[in-house]
Amino acid sequence: MKSIERADDFAARRKHLQSLTDAELQQRFWQLTEQIIAPLIAEARTHTTPAIERSVLLRMGFSSVEAKQLVSAMQQRRLLGHGAGRLVLELARRKSVPVREAGAGLLDGLYWEELVNVK
Amino acid sequence: MKLDPDKKLDIQEVLNDLEHYQPRRKGWHWRVKLEDQHIGPFIYKDTSASLRQSIPLQAAEYFQHIDPQCDFVITTEIASGRFEDDLRRMRMAAWHGADHIMVIRTTGQSHIDGLIEGTPEGIGGIPISRKQIRATRKALDAIEDEVGRPINFHSYVSGVAGPEMAVLFAEEGVNGAHQDPQYNVLYRGINMHRSFVDAAESKKILANAGILQLDGAHNANATAKQAWKVTPELFVQHAINTAYSRAAGMPSELIALSTVPPTAPPAPKLRLDLPYAIALRELFTGYKIRAQQNTRYMQSDTREVSVTHVLDTLISRLTSADIQSTITPDEGRNIPWHYNNIAGVNTARQTLMGLDGLAELIELKHDGPLRDTVRELKERAVLFLEEILAQGGYYAAVAAGQFVDQGYYPERIGDGIVRDPNGGDGAATVIIREAGYGAPVCSHFGNNIYQPKTCAVYGGCTLCDPAKIQYIDELDANDNVNKRLQGPLAEQAAGLMRPEVEKFGDGIVCVTLFVPGQAPLAELAALEMARQMGLQNPQVINRRIMHPAEGSVFEVKGKLDIAINAATLVQEAGITPLTHEEIETWVRPRDIQVIAATVGEDEHSVGLHEILDIKHGGIERYGFQCHNLGTSVAVERILDTAQQYNAAVILISTIVTHADIHKQHMRHLHELAMQRGLRDRVILVAGGAQVTDQLARQCGMDAGFGRGTTGHAVANFLVRKLREKKT
Repeated sequence: MKSIERADDFAARRKHLQSLTDAELQQRFWQLTEQIIAPLIAEARTHTTPAIERSVLLRMGFSSVEAKQLVSAMQQRRLLGHGAGRLVLELARRKSVPVREAGAGLLDGLYWEELVNVK
Repeated sequence: MKLDPDKKLDIQEVLNDLEHYQPRRKGWHWRVKLEDQHIGPFIYKDTSASLRQSIPLQAAEYFQHIDPQCDFVITTEIASGRFEDDLRRMRMAAWHGADHIMVIRTTGQSHIDGLIEGTPEGIGGIPISRKQIRATRKALDAIEDEVGRPINFHSYVSGVAGPEMAVLFAEEGVNGAHQDPQYNVLYRGINMHRSFVDAAESKKILANAGILQLDGAHNANATAKQAWKVTPELFVQHAINTAYSRAAGMPSELIALSTVPPTAPPAPKLRLDLPYAIALRELFTGYKIRAQQNTRYMQSDTREVSVTHVLDTLISRLTSADIQSTITPDEGRNIPWHYNNIAGVNTARQTLMGLDGLAELIELKHDGPLRDTVRELKERAVLFLEEILAQGGYYAAVAAGQFVDQGYYPERIGDGIVRDPNGGDGAATVIIREAGYGAPVCSHFGNNIYQPKTCAVYGGCTLCDPAKIQYIDELDANDNVNKRLQGPLAEQAAGLMRPEVEKFGDGIVCVTLFVPGQAPLAELAALEMARQMGLQNPQVINRRIMHPAEGSVFEVKGKLDIAINAATLVQEAGITPLTHEEIETWVRPRDIQVIAATVGEDEHSVGLHEILDIKHGGIERYGFQCHNLGTSVAVERILDTAQQYNAAVILISTIVTHADIHKQHMRHLHELAMQRGLRDRVILVAGGAQVTDQLARQCGMDAGFGRGTTGHAVANFLVRKLREKKT
């Protein structure tokens, strides 16, 4: 897809900015920017991704290889919306085992049915 | 790990016990500006603490060997593809004043969905992995002790594995990182939703680890053909990443704008670049400035590139900068060579030392064309933001090709980068968080059922307890550092040395050839000359026509496949020459008389003048009392005069006219000095086109000097010899 072509109409377009002081122009620059990023940051607050979930498992003491396998398996089972870290932590609590042991169980194919209850 | 300046970095020691290595500090380190610092003969206005060990600029020889360090952090970017070679390059750069080491990632890492482990070789950079980062940080810890200044280590948190990379950097003590979701979207074709959602998490992690963030806006002027026209958009890109970072929890002092003066001569650079630089700093007061040097218009001539970079650095000093980044002057012609990293660093430090205290001397105009352009640029940027909102927001604007169009906004050429908000790498991987979503770790962004520090319930996350970090050494039995090092370490142990520019012993050399012919033919001739010199695969990497018919100069690179055994070299090379200052300090108070003459039937006395005269850099400059008796002087007369002045040194010049007459003169001088009982008291030195040190010594001289000898070399010998005699 090709983007639009347009001659430099700065002189006409700037008319509403002309009377602004430098400080007012600066304020407008940042107000507009805040408006642009507001929906983006809102999406980030309410969504997650496999990379975020892998990063959570890394922080919980899993290796990159383990985190990748766990997140991929959770994604296939449509469980990631609950948070990979939450699933592992709550499983560990139920089983009264360390989080790494809970994760190792999942990597061995165990406990997946229980994760449904965990959430 | 402790480094010895006389020993090479021991890569095996770096790799040893990496599993248990932990970074000793985290977070970014700024240089601290010292007001009115006395260094050598000068008082500096814009400097920071000097280094414990460093290699000063060459001209420092005349200024008490000072090596003042500017107040900006200085960056060098390293990209050899092998981290073990990068480490040596980092050490060299640190000795020349770099304290921000930016490690470029291998091509394609942006698209790898997950972390890489081990030490595989990269292309145009290294695959960033835990082991490579840890080894690098360990080596840098030792290097910063060696030079006496903290060194910031930096890499990239972009691509589809950003949050994991951010965790890795926070855990391993990386100090700076590029993080800008717009870079993913525009230049890496990564899905925009994925990029921004990942970015918020990454930024939170970086912020909590005190890692300085650089944005990616400068890529727009590295991409656009008419880079000075995208300046209004650059403000917009900086603003979007800055505001997004703040919203994700990053404090302003950790946000640095990556900015490049967009043009290069013959463009009227300052007139175009300075208003942009000023407008940027005004719009972004309170944020850090990482001033990069221009790459957009780099060609193959490193001198021309360096001049552009001097002007870039001038703009930094005329406005402001917190980091002065450097570009290797050869980036326009090959993957940067290590000594060109040092050349780039030296361009910045030499320029900044020369500009010290500039603010005391000049001031930028507050009215006229400069201010008018600053205002116009800001207005154009505001109009750009208005149009993004009119288009329906950021994603819709990218879809419409609003970004990296080469028109001077609001002008549009129609060549903007167009991306589909639902397409790209990682599309459809963004997942809505359920009501019970939780992430029981520190530095997490967004909705989360857990309270901060929930990680305590399982003994702490890796950011609280580094012992929890899972270290993987290698995953590939063939592509790893141990395999790669076998050859180099064996050669090193055998005392072999090969030339290199990028990787250990790569054999690459560069020769400069002026060929007096028309360009195409001259180039073929240059390549053939290189071949006959023994260079394999010669390639012209720079050409400059001096005149269409008179000739061109070529820089030709090729592989010189030879290894020199250190054991076969005469150990004289190991003696460090005395500096001019050391020689003069020793000579001047001692009133040392030197008798010089050209012997025999020889009217050529030019060589001797060059060795003696202060004007030619001869030994008089150090305070030797020289008596030049002229040409065709008899040996007897030389000795008479030596006795008269109680001379310590006799220098004779013997330019041969026939047979072995020069040998006879030397022998005669030696024998006659013996007969007169002078030989122990006077040092005899002979020079001339046919003289070698070995020959002169065979003929009874203390030393001989051949063609191309300097006064410094002779003085160096004399002082050492005179010192020996005193002891």
